[in-house]
Amino acid sequence: MVRLEDIVKRRSQSESVFELQVPSFAVHPGQMVAVIGESGCGKSTLLDMIALVMEPTEVARFEISTGNTGGVCDVAALWARGDEGALSALRRDFFGYVLQTGGLLPFLSVRQNICLPGRIKGHPILPGRVGTLAKRLGVAGCLDRMPESLSIGQRQRVAIVRALAHQPRLVLADEPTAAVDKARARAIMDDMQRLAEDESVAVVVVTHDVDLIMDRVEVAYTFDTIEVSEQLTRSTCRLVKEHSP
Amino acid sequence: MTRPANPLKYIPSLAASHLRHEWILTFCLVIALAAVIAPLLVLLGLKYGTIQTLRERLVEDPVFREIRPSQTREFSPQWFEELSVWPGVGFYTPTILPLSSVISVVHGGSNSAELIDLIPTAAGDPLLLENGGVVPADGEVVLSAEAARRCGVQSGEDIISRVTRSRGGRMDFVEERLRVVSVLSPRAGSLARVYAPLPFVLDVEGYKEGYAAPSRGWAGETPQPYPSFDGAILLLPHPMLPIARSGLVINTGFGRITDVSAERVKELLGFSPPHGFGAYDLLAPGTPVTMTNLRAIDQKLRGQTRVLLPYVRGVTIESGGKSLSPIGLSLTSEQAQLLGVPETPWGGYTGNSPEDGRLVHTLWPEGETSADEMHVRASGIAELQFDLRVIGTTSFGRPVVPIELMGILRTASQRAISFNQKTQRFEMARGGYRGFRLYAESIDDVPQLYYKLKAEGIEVIAEVEAIERIRVLDQGLTRLFWLIALLGLFGGTAVLVSSLYAAVERRRRDLGVLRLLGFSRLHVFFFPIAQGLMVAILGLLAGFGGYAALAWVINHAFATELAPGEAFCVIPSQYIPVFCFVTLVLAGLASLVAGWRATCIDPAEAIREQ
Repeated sequence: MVRLEDIVKRRSQSESVFELQVPSFAVHPGQMVAVIGESGCGKSTLLDMIALVMEPTEVARFEISTGNTGGVCDVAALWARGDEGALSALRRDFFGYVLQTGGLLPFLSVRQNICLPGRIKGHPILPGRVGTLAKRLGVAGCLDRMPESLSIGQRQRVAIVRALAHQPRLVLADEPTAAVDKARARAIMDDMQRLAEDESVAVVVVTHDVDLIMDRVEVAYTFDTIEVSEQLTRSTCRLVKEHSP
Repeated sequence: MTRPANPLKYIPSLAASHLRHEWILTFCLVIALAAVIAPLLVLLGLKYGTIQTLRERLVEDPVFREIRPSQTREFSPQWFEELSVWPGVGFYTPTILPLSSVISVVHGGSNSAELIDLIPTAAGDPLLLENGGVVPADGEVVLSAEAARRCGVQSGEDIISRVTRSRGGRMDFVEERLRVVSVLSPRAGSLARVYAPLPFVLDVEGYKEGYAAPSRGWAGETPQPYPSFDGAILLLPHPMLPIARSGLVINTGFGRITDVSAERVKELLGFSPPHGFGAYDLLAPGTPVTMTNLRAIDQKLRGQTRVLLPYVRGVTIESGGKSLSPIGLSLTSEQAQLLGVPETPWGGYTGNSPEDGRLVHTLWPEGETSADEMHVRASGIAELQFDLRVIGTTSFGRPVVPIELMGILRTASQRAISFNQKTQRFEMARGGYRGFRLYAESIDDVPQLYYKLKAEGIEVIAEVEAIERIRVLDQGLTRLFWLIALLGLFGGTAVLVSSLYAAVERRRRDLGVLRLLGFSRLHVFFFPIAQGLMVAILGLLAGFGGYAALAWVINHAFATELAPGEAFCVIPSQYIPVFCFVTLVLAGLASLVAGWRATCIDPAEAIREQ
């Protein structure tokens, strides 16, 4: 569904250069994929590229299959063309996002936040579906409140509902449990996993918490970071697990 | 499965939600804008209101629209026709000579007469209509306040107007009963004046000049043109003694009497005097010879056999492209017999013009035409065209016409005369008028009419200065307004630019989330623009509210200075949409910077939070 081959992203920060190399990365429909690593290893850079908000420096292949018909979208070509509109359209049509602290819009109510992706996609979410999803994640009572009045755990759950409500094909979750304690993190992760399975949505979770994620995912990637020179740090993405449990 | 996505249409509602969420900041921004807009509106209202009030006070009084000549001179009817199509002319009427326009007004029983100026008026006269009067019809007059006071009359009463003239040392007068239909308010002028329809005024003028006004039963000369001559030939069977000769012209208006040769007589009258006759030329150098002069000579020669024939020199007519010098000759059969020439079919010269169309009869040289009628033209003050009826032939070699016709053609070279085809008579054409009363359509038309008349060499008086003064004040205030408006413009724009820019900076993360959710750069570009316009609309509403309150206070504070319907602070309705439009355009421009800033936000920032 998402396939990356031989992608390099080079970022320079004052004197030093950070280089991320991704020889091969793939997400298949319905799959849950983990991207694990310490901070600074490049996992966020990888997520940005998958999320279509960061342009790779070098790319051999970057494709997203759009829908069941087998149509394939050449993201590399879109970046080359600078077709910002098409990238935005891909984002709203195929992706859902769960950010570290939810990424909810503070000026919209919980319900408006959940419905927004569907509305801008041109495919409004039925009120019943919002209710059902909210109930399953235990936030049904919060629907008409503003995000700022929710606890962080509630916000994360609402963010998961928002990421799934408009039926995306892939949910990108960036450290979705970073701000909550272990027990709550486990519960949130359980909810997300269950929901993704039910909705048959692929999920890419970026986290530094190996314990939390390893037994839930079919595929996991991590990074090998080496300091090539004083200026250059190179990090290479590597597959660590495939089809276990 | 999905409708075409159009995320752009959600931008305004998202922007509105954002403003509502941060309502305190929004409120402050709106107040800041209103604090710029309301004083500008009040300033605009004051400028417009005061100028309008000053103008209306001028506009109300027709005196400020009046343009009047400062000199008496002649204005032809054609000139008035041209004047009537000038742009900006609201009303005009010709006027007559000031001296001819004084009449005596007698009221009811009292015998005392007041001498009052008679002024012509016509339908639409603003001086009358805007000072509580109506335009009088024939037989009616309108009096100025002073005239009504002097005569002691009120509207609805009758006055007797007496027009006097002196003719030949005798005083004549006519009286006409006129109804006073209204009395003007004192604002119309402090002089005693009687306003009457132009035809009546012209009849008064004509009567004073000695003419009759048949329609009113006023006696006098008919307005028919009088014949005038260059001199007269006196033919006597026996020459006069020199002493009788020199006595003859005394007190007759003639200046000289001279012998005249037979050739000269033939040239003037078409025939030579019979042998043995004395022929004399009576001359009045510098003045035209008229009936009166001829009668005086005739009286002195009473009892003697004589023929006195007036003549005209130098009058030519044009017929069929040829210039002819006709002979003017009117002879009775006795005169013809005495002189041995054929008599003229139109009879002798009596002082009255031959009747029944015989004035335009002619005898044509033998063999020169077979037509019954000859169309001829004569030049004069106004060109004359008429048909001569050929009723016979003559052996004089030149056409022969009644001397009266020649006399009229001579007069036509000095006064305008026209030929009336219907009555087959000559008529005095009305000469020019001696002035006019002119009102411009609006006070704004006064200066251009004033300068246009001046350019024609007509000295006129108008309240140009009062009008110009207001125009200068208006210009000054407009300049002041623009200066302050410019200042407000900068202030208001700066407030919007900084606030919207700050809002974008403050909400970088939210805008990043919007980008992440699938809004493109272009979509988020409109987010601050929508906010700018919304704030501007709210600011306009608050600004107009503030203006309305302040304007009410100002207008009430000055209520004692103002007439009902006047206001010191008022904005014409057509300015309001312009003002709103300009404000919205400026708000849109001010939010462009913030919009551009919004497009620079990288959605990765939303992910990378903290």
